[in-house]
Parts: sequence; structure tokens; C-alpha cells
Amino acid sequence: MADCWLRLCETYKCAVHLSEVESKADPENEPYRSKYKARELLREIRAKLCPQDEEDTAGSEEKERAVGSWGTIGENWGSVLAARLGVLEFRLGQNHTETEEMSAGEEHLVRSGRIMERYRLSEEGVSVYIQSQNNLGILWADRGEIRVAQTYLESAESLYFHYMKEVGKPPIDPDEHFYPEVQKLTEQERSKRFERVYTHTLYYLAQVYKHLKQDEKAAQYCHTTLQRQLEYDSYNPVEWAINAATLSQYYLTKQCYMEARHCLAAANVVFTKAGQIPSAEAAKENEVEQERLDLLGQKKADIARCWVKYCLNLLQDARKKLEDNIGELDVDMQVELKSQRKREEDKKEKGQKKAVLFGSSDIYDSILAAEEKVNCYYPLDFKEAREVFLVGQDYINEAKEFFQLDGHVTDHIEIIQDHSALFKVLAFFEEDYERRCKMHKRRIDMLEPLCKELNPQYYLLVCRQLQFELADTFYEMMDLKVAIGNKLDEMDSHTIKKINSLALAAIKYYEMFLDSLRGPDKIFPEKLEEDVLRPAMVAKFHIARLYGKLISNDGKKQLENMQTSLSYYFYLVDYCATHEEAIKSVETELELSKEMVSLLPTRMERLRVRLASFT
Amino acid sequence: MPPGTKGDSSDVTASLPCLPSAEGDAIKVFVRIRPPVEGSLCGGDGDQGLCLTALSPNTLRLHSKPEPKIFTFDHVANIDATQESVFSCVAKNIVESCMNGYNGTIFAYGQTGSGKTFTMLGPSESDNFSHNLRGVIPRSFEYLFFLINREKEKAGDGKSFLCKCSFIEIYNEQIFDLLDSASPGLFLREHIKKGVFVVGAVEQAVASAAEAYQVLSMGWRNRRVASTSMNRESSRSHAVFTVTIESMEKINDVVNIRSSQLNLVDLAGSERQKDTHTEGVRLKEAGSINRSLSCLGQVITALVDVANGRQRHVCYRDSKLTFLLRDSLGGNAKTFIIANVHPGSKCFGETLSTLQFAQRAKLIKNKAVVNEDTQGNVS
Repeated sequence: MADCWLRLCETYKCAVHLSEVESKADPENEPYRSKYKARELLREIRAKLCPQDEEDTAGSEEKERAVGSWGTIGENWGSVLAARLGVLEFRLGQNHTETEEMSAGEEHLVRSGRIMERYRLSEEGVSVYIQSQNNLGILWADRGEIRVAQTYLESAESLYFHYMKEVGKPPIDPDEHFYPEVQKLTEQERSKRFERVYTHTLYYLAQVYKHLKQDEKAAQYCHTTLQRQLEYDSYNPVEWAINAATLSQYYLTKQCYMEARHCLAAANVVFTKAGQIPSAEAAKENEVEQERLDLLGQKKADIARCWVKYCLNLLQDARKKLEDNIGELDVDMQVELKSQRKREEDKKEKGQKKAVLFGSSDIYDSILAAEEKVNCYYPLDFKEAREVFLVGQDYINEAKEFFQLDGHVTDHIEIIQDHSALFKVLAFFEEDYERRCKMHKRRIDMLEPLCKELNPQYYLLVCRQLQFELADTFYEMMDLKVAIGNKLDEMDSHTIKKINSLALAAIKYYEMFLDSLRGPDKIFPEKLEEDVLRPAMVAKFHIARLYGKLISNDGKKQLENMQTSLSYYFYLVDYCATHEEAIKSVETELELSKEMVSLLPTRMERLRVRLASFT
Repeated sequence: MPPGTKGDSSDVTASLPCLPSAEGDAIKVFVRIRPPVEGSLCGGDGDQGLCLTALSPNTLRLHSKPEPKIFTFDHVANIDATQESVFSCVAKNIVESCMNGYNGTIFAYGQTGSGKTFTMLGPSESDNFSHNLRGVIPRSFEYLFFLINREKEKAGDGKSFLCKCSFIEIYNEQIFDLLDSASPGLFLREHIKKGVFVVGAVEQAVASAAEAYQVLSMGWRNRRVASTSMNRESSRSHAVFTVTIESMEKINDVVNIRSSQLNLVDLAGSERQKDTHTEGVRLKEAGSINRSLSCLGQVITALVDVANGRQRHVCYRDSKLTFLLRDSLGGNAKTFIIANVHPGSKCFGETLSTLQFAQRAKLIKNKAVVNEDTQGNVS
């Protein structure tokens, strides 16, 4: 009898091996060869285990009676046999679904569930039961019935909780039911395997919620899956870190900065476990090693870029909260938000964070330490903003180490654009206009060389972005200089020169942008594409304003500038008259343009009269 | 169960390595219906046979139940369309604009057996360049060199041309050089002046259509060889044939150099995507219990991708194919997608998903708009 049992165990092992290992090498024209072999073996075992059960002829009730009658020998023996049959049915079900025989698979899985129903809260049964529910979930999702899948998976999820609460002991692994007595697993191994089964439940649920468009829930399940991978150390550090960093970007879009920061800090910490950099020299000799290092470098830079976005969003959101209606720092708001934050912090001291936190004990502290380097609340003054900015800038530099201009043009430019955006938002917090101007100058210095070098034949879109941003930056600087100049009693010639040169530079880049919209025939399009409509109109509008701002002592020149300005305003008004769909995207600009179109001619006339009287 | 959960339309694009968005109507879609295999029409094919009908030069009807579906494209070519008419509709314009210094790309998309190779190359048995059934690629070569020769005649010695070809294959996210079958996997890089390029790919200079065709057929043979050895299959790989056209014009002492690229792409059979579980609502399985959940990232990426409007960085994004072609789809390039479909009713499912893909491709718009957030200070 014992011999016979050992042979069964051997057959089972063989079946699992066929199905999980050998099947991968099956030839293209017989993709399921090993799976079919495995199926035969499983059937064989079942026939031996339960001889009175002729396949598919005996009704399931009969089978249960059979199990029940064995159960009279002792409750325990019944559950052992049931578990074995349950495992076989589960394996058969899995086998059928993997070979695209859905209904047969479903039948087996459902049968497994029915056999195990009574024992689902026992050490012997819980793992098999959850696994067949998992598989039923996958099966129904494949049929496109995601709601049914959800029901199965959620029932698996709640069984896990129930079991952990009521029993809690590491349960027997399904395969273990076919291990000879001497090979039993340790408690630790059992627990590990069981926890993985449950992790898979969560992972499938994450996908189910994604398909049901329940993003928040899906994200939560992704988060928990990551946390569990960490806890039961079944993860690849690089992959894990990238997943966590990506998840942080989801939180960013939801403005959950605490969660985003936590993900990023954890990504940093786990990434360091990826087995780093032996020596660059050694790597040079080994191509595979070189490739691996390259990939690590890229992933590290990718995580850095996620951090950059974190800092940038945090600053930009803070700006939005602090802006008054013309986009300047609102000091009253600043005071109010600060005291509000103080109150919240006091409150928080008492309560604990409610978010799921990553970490097994050994890395938890490192994650907390990594988190402390940057705040997750909105910066409210220049000092706080600068701290966030500096962290962002460090990550910019880290990202640039890998994404160098030569070889990674697009990525490199994206990073520089982020850098420029960081400066732009930092400038918002700066009260001193001269210093603010210097920050914008830094943006010019980093963007201008790129814009000059880049070939628009391949990078048209990026070129346009750069041209527009440069134009806007010059425009902003000019405005600042005008504001500075207005505080003086009288503008000196140096300031005037500066204002004019900034305005001309802005005009130059706006024109460059507008030129990029021209077709191969160099003609400006009559109808603008939707995606460039607003920028093009804004460019026209700003050019009009800039010509209006140019300072000149020469009356003729002044008249000329006004004329040019008028023609640009007129373009806007005219365009919107012929293309009414454009109106909604440039409402404010259009209104002001109309006003200018009616005002400017009178002003010009007055100037003309004055000029005439001089001569 | 709510039927609405089936075949979520957003999954259709996911089944092809998402093409980068291109501007405006830079992407045009041409649908070509191949004739059914002879003999399969009368009997043999189960029910009535055809599952779609061309209604007009730009619409077709798919006989789905209960309601037939109508699709509209830039052009629909019925089963009797000639190779010449496909060429003049799709490629002529693109070749012309390549001569003017713009980049152009032609994709062929569709399930295996829907006629991609026939459309692009011609009948497989004849390597004959002059065959009257030759496809878009040989015809493009002819036209290109016809235009070049005409230009040369017009400009005399003042203008010279240099054409170079490269031919690569993307299989399993790895790049292979079809002109040098001994070369190991290659890498993609970007250059500030030259755009995206494959490091170390062989570039063969060609002076005539015949030479270009020779390069093509040599590479194509390599591809076939690859498809029979061990576990590779040609329909799982994308093949990209690139012609770089450089012109040099001397006016007085000023030298004017212009260069452009023509990419001809044979995409992997669309039905193959099923194997990678990217289609429909399928759940990605974790496989055996001890393996890692390497697909979790895809779920998360999908989450981030949907939530829009804020600055974010997605760590997994580009496929090699989209990276390679991103500049030719990046704004001032002309792009045509030829969606090949088989009209047989057996192919209904694949045909539907090809048409849905093609329709979505038409909607692709460039999302990376110019940054512009100065609405505030207009005073």
C-alpha cells in the first residue's frame, strides 16, 4: 500500500513537471503535447485514488457520497482524501483551461470547489480552494465576463481573511498532498507559498478593477501586491522599483503626494538591492555585463525622472493654491494656508498615517530616511519651495547622467524642459524681480542651445515646444524689466535697451514657431490644426503686444510698430470671424484684440498728427 | 452579464505596439480587401462566404450580427483593385514628398494571410522586378529613381543624389540586421541632427531601382531563413526597410544638402498579439506560483496612462518599433497605414479588430502639444 502511494506521488510529481517545465519546450505544431501527457497522468491518479468514480459517468453527488463514506473513518481522513481529490480536480481544471478547453476546465474547477467546500477553512483545504477560485476568475475573465471573475476572486480574497482570522496556521500546499511523508514542507515554506497564492488573488483583482475602470481600487491592489512581494521576498529589485516608481505617477495625478513620495522612496531603497556596478573596467570586457549596467543606469535615471515630476507637481500645485487672479503670489493666502497647515499637523501628530506602507522591517527604516529628504506638503514660501526645487534639480542631474543628449535626444530634452519648468515655478515664489529675472535667464541658457542645434525635420514637435517656451520666457523677462523700470523715476537708457532687446528676442521665437506651421510651400495655413490653434493664436497675440511695448524715441518707428501690432491683433479678430470654432479657445485674447483693433487706429492718428506738427 | 464589458474598444490599439501619435491628419488609412482564395467561395467556406462589402471608395460594410457595421476610411480598395492603383493612391504622394525633403512611412497591417506581403512586395514565387503584379515597394523604387533621374536631367551637374538602404527586423524587442545576418542584436540611438538611427546597421548605397530591389530581396531572404530556423516565425517580427535619400545641390558656391527617409514597414501579423495576452479583457496570469508578477507594471502603466492632464513620467513606454519610427510620425512626415483584410467570414474576428485598429489610427492626434500656460497675464 505504501509502495502504491509512493508511486502515485511520483506520478503526480511527473505530471506537474510536464505541465510546468517541459511544456515550455513543446514544438510549435504540437503546443500542448506535454500538457496532454500531464492530463493523462492526473486522470490515472484520480482513477487509482477513487476507483469507484468512473469519469463523467458518476454524478457529482455520488462522488461526494464516496468522499463522505470515507469520512466516516475519521473526520481527518475524510479531509485528507477530499483534499487530494480537490487538488487533482484543480490541476485538471487548470490543465484544461491552459489547453483552451474552457468548459471542461470550468467543470473540474467547480468540482474541486465543491469537494473542498466543507474543508475550505481547514489547513488541508484552504489553499486548494483559493487557487481554484483564482483560476475560475481567470477563466471567466477570458470569456469576457469580468463581473463573474470579480465574484470568484473576491470570494477567494475574503476566504483568505477568514482563514487567517479563524485558523491562522500556515496551511498545507496543494502539491504537498502528494508528497511522501518524509518530504513535508516546513511551516515557513508553507506560509510563503500560501501567501503567494493570496498575492496572486490580489494581482488578478488589480487587473479586474482596472478593466472595470475602478482605477482607485486597482491602484490600491497594485500597491498591496507590491507590498506583499516585498514582504514575502519574491521580487526582482529593479522590476519592483520601476513598478513602485510608476505607481507614484498614478498618485501624482491624484495629488496624493504622501503616497507618491512613499513609493518613490521605496523605489530608491529597493533599487539599491539590484546588485550594483562591480567596476566599469570589468564591464568593458564583458558585453553582457555592459548591457546589464546600461539597463541599470537607465532604470535609475527613470526613477530619478519620476522624482523630478514629483517635485515639479508639488511646486506647481502649491503655486495654483497661492496665486491671486493675475497669477502673482497672494500674501494673504500664504498666511492663511500656513496657519491651516499648522492646525493639520497638530492634528496629525495624534492620528497615524492611514496609507499602506511598504517595507519589511529591515528596509522600512531606510525608506523612512529616504522620505525625509523632501516634504510632501505644499511649499508656501520661497524657502520651502527652494528646498523642493533643489531636490528636483539633483534628480535632474542624476537623470541626465544616463539620458545624455548624444544618443537620447528626446529624453534629454524632456529632462531639460522639466528643469526649465522647475525654475519657472520657483521664480513664482521669488519676490525680488531682479533675482526672478536671473532664474528665467537660466532657462534661456539651457533651452536656447538645444533649439539652435535640433533638426526640425526629425524633431519638429520638440522644436516648436522649445521655440514657444523660449519666446514665453523672454516675454516674461521683458514684463519683469518693465515692472522694474516703472519703479524708477525715469527709465535709464540701459533699461530701455534691455526691454527692447528682450521684446525682440521674444518676437523672434514666436515668429520661428509660427514659421514652423508653414507648409512645404512656405505658405501660412489658412486653417490651423486643432492642436496648434491656441499656441498659434497666443503667439500672434503676444507679438502684437510686444510691438506695442517696444520703446522708441523715433516717432516714425513708433508708428510703424503700432501698425505692425495692429495687423497682428487684426489677424486674431479676422481669423475668429471666419473660423468661429476658434473663438472658445482664445476668448480673453480675442476680446482684448477687438478692443485694440478699435483703439489703436485713433491712437495712431493722434501720433500722426503730432508727428506732422513737428515737421 | 452586461455585454458592454466585452471587447473594450480601448484595447484595440493595445493589440498593436501603440503607434506614436502623429500630427493632424498625417496618418491616412487605406483598407485593402484581398480576394478570397480561389475555390473557397463556392462551398468549402462554411456559410455564405464573405463577411464584408465595399460600398464606395471610402466606406465598407462589415456583416456583423445583428446590425451590420459601416466603416469609413481615406480609401477602401475592393478585391479587384490593381497593384498599380494601390501604389498610386498610397505611395506616389509619399515618394514625391520624400524628394522634397520630407520623411514618409508606409505601414502594412493585418492578420497573417490578409495580403500584406502581396501588397508590399508582390507574389512571393517570382523575384521578378518587372512582374506586373509587383507591389508597393518595387513600384516605389521605380518611381523614386524615375524622379531622381528627372531631377538630375533638369539640374545637370548641379545636383547629385545619394540613396542608401538599410533593412532591419524587430523580433521580441530585439533588432537584427537583415543585410548582415551575422551581426548580433543592435541598438537604437538618437542624434540631434539625424534623428533616430540603428547603431551599426549596414547601409547599402544604391544607384538604381534594380539595385534597391536586390538589397530588398537579399534581406527578405534572410528574413525567411530566420523564420524557419528553430523558434522564430516571420509573422511575429516587424521588418523595416529604409531608404535614405540625400540630395546635394550646388548653386554658385553654396552647397545645399537635403536628406529624407522613406520607411516601408511590414508589421507582425496582428493575430499574433493574442499570444501575448494583450487583447480584450484577458487577465495576465502570474504563471506558476513561484514566478514573479512581471506584468504588474503593465497594469500600473495603464492606470497612469489614463489619468491625464498632469506632468508625469511613465517608466515603461516605448517599444522598439515606435521608437524607431517616432520621428517619421513626429509631425512633418507623411504616413499611410494599409490595413489588409481577408473578406472570408472565417476571418470575421480578425477583420473586425483590424478595422477597429485602422479606424482608431485615423483618430490618432498628437497629444504632445506646445506648452502654453500664460493665460493669466494678458493685460
